[in-house]
Amino acid sequence: MALLTLDYTQALHKATPPFAPFIPVALLPYIAFVLLGATFALAFYFSTLPKDKIPVRELAVASTASLLGGFGVVAMFCNAGVYL
Amino acid sequence: MPRNWHTPLSLILSALVLPLCASAANSFENTAIVRTVELGGALVHVTTTYAVKALEDGSSVYTLALGEQEHAHTSWLEAKLKGQAEVLPLEDFGYHPDSGVFLYTVELPKALNTNGTANLVVETVQTHATFPWPQEAAQKDPQSLKYNAELFVISPYKTLVQRTKIRAPTTTVHSYTEPEDVAFTTDAVVTKAGATITYGPFHDIPASASQDFVDTKQKQVTVHYTYDHPVIEVKKLERAVEISHWGANLNVDNTMVFYNAGPRLKGHFSRLEYQTQNYFGRGAAHMLPGINLILPAGIHSAYYYDLVGNVSTSHLRTAPSVPKGPNSNAYSLLELRPRYPVMGGWNYSFTLGWDSPLQDYAGYDKSTGKHIVGVPLMTVIPTAVVDEAEITLILPEGATDIEYFTPYPALSERISNHITYLDTIGRPKITLKYKELTDKHTGNIYVTYKVPFRAHLQKPLAVAMAFLGVFAIALTWRRVDTRIRRK
Repeated sequence: MALLTLDYTQALHKATPPFAPFIPVALLPYIAFVLLGATFALAFYFSTLPKDKIPVRELAVASTASLLGGFGVVAMFCNAGVYL
Repeated sequence: MPRNWHTPLSLILSALVLPLCASAANSFENTAIVRTVELGGALVHVTTTYAVKALEDGSSVYTLALGEQEHAHTSWLEAKLKGQAEVLPLEDFGYHPDSGVFLYTVELPKALNTNGTANLVVETVQTHATFPWPQEAAQKDPQSLKYNAELFVISPYKTLVQRTKIRAPTTTVHSYTEPEDVAFTTDAVVTKAGATITYGPFHDIPASASQDFVDTKQKQVTVHYTYDHPVIEVKKLERAVEISHWGANLNVDNTMVFYNAGPRLKGHFSRLEYQTQNYFGRGAAHMLPGINLILPAGIHSAYYYDLVGNVSTSHLRTAPSVPKGPNSNAYSLLELRPRYPVMGGWNYSFTLGWDSPLQDYAGYDKSTGKHIVGVPLMTVIPTAVVDEAEITLILPEGATDIEYFTPYPALSERISNHITYLDTIGRPKITLKYKELTDKHTGNIYVTYKVPFRAHLQKPLAVAMAFLGVFAIALTWRRVDTRIRRK
């Protein structure tokens, strides 16, 4: 791994704009609540779906619920203090 | 020995300097050397001022010599020109077995012509150079330390006059060596004025960076003085800095083992005696009831626990967050009180950590896609020495193109994989190992890295896969008939 020089890194560190996350941290608790609530509701809906030969609808609902759940869990972890 | 690291001089220059000291002695002459030793507890600050005169044109590389004993204790070395703030490039030429000295070269900013002069100020910090004497002390006894040094400042060049001033922290100096049969002087060798003991002046010392000089002319001096503060040694420091992009957070976790390197406690610890001392405000000098640490501004969710559990005897006063850059003076103050006062010879280990907003430490350059993070090397504890330090920087998952800058050369550096919550492939972890860090090692570590957008999505997708797995099990479960059928 390359080693940088002090002047270059100090100047670069000072000059670059500060880091900004994609999703503002203050919004994370609300996002976690909404997403996990949606995951729960969709999981419940999944359980009421009829059993088809090719489970297209079930898979669609399951995928949406999983995706929302994934983001919701990550937001919840950050909210709880386990910064990922 | 960690010290300021600069790019090495050219090979030609090193070929000129590497041969025996005698050839390096031709280009300079020391008109005066004054060494001032500020005695302390775990750390001793030594400032040596060399008034040099060049003997030939174009002299720009000055060689410093440190004896074996001095080098063993020196853990920070910096050279500057007097009155100027710029640190001069220093090159370590290591140990010379034939002369028994360690050589360093300093590159002067401007080459000197014949009879040109310059004032070079070399600051060093010595660790483990003092030891408690007497080695045991009862709870209410005072604390005294002894410091050993060599009388003459050695140099590969001829010295016209030199003196050494040893300054004790208080005027109470129990004893100091009055060396006999000292060459190079006709006056009294040592004088004491208040808290300062002056050895010298010594005149016309030839090039002394040789084994012969050390064997025949060098003398040892010892100063026995009182020291009214606890001597703090951090035997091991494990510092982990974890960067999170999802939470925009920088977590710093320090695990330290405190050791009181003062005189060992004689007898048992009397709580009654301790309370009496506290009541009258006369705490013993070698007792460490607590320490005040300066932490960065903008920290929150600080935790302080040890083997037993959370330690509630501490008080943190935070300062509001400040934007990144070295400009602010704001700091948070932690009044750390261990569970018990750390007496001489006692250990105390604990973990101290906090979270802080990542924007105070990190920048993002959109044009190159690089993130740059600057974190302090360690939380500096004034007057304390850190024997061993292991500093790790944990970068986000999927970080690539990692480059880092260390303010002082590390004993070992490596990048490995670290797996923590919700990781799939693991995160890069930079581990730096250091020895003998002092309160002068205040530099920042800078790391640059890139994280592609899809690396950020790895965690949510991993959790989504886990959820999908559960849904898949549910799908099959619904279609499997587990009834015990009646025929």
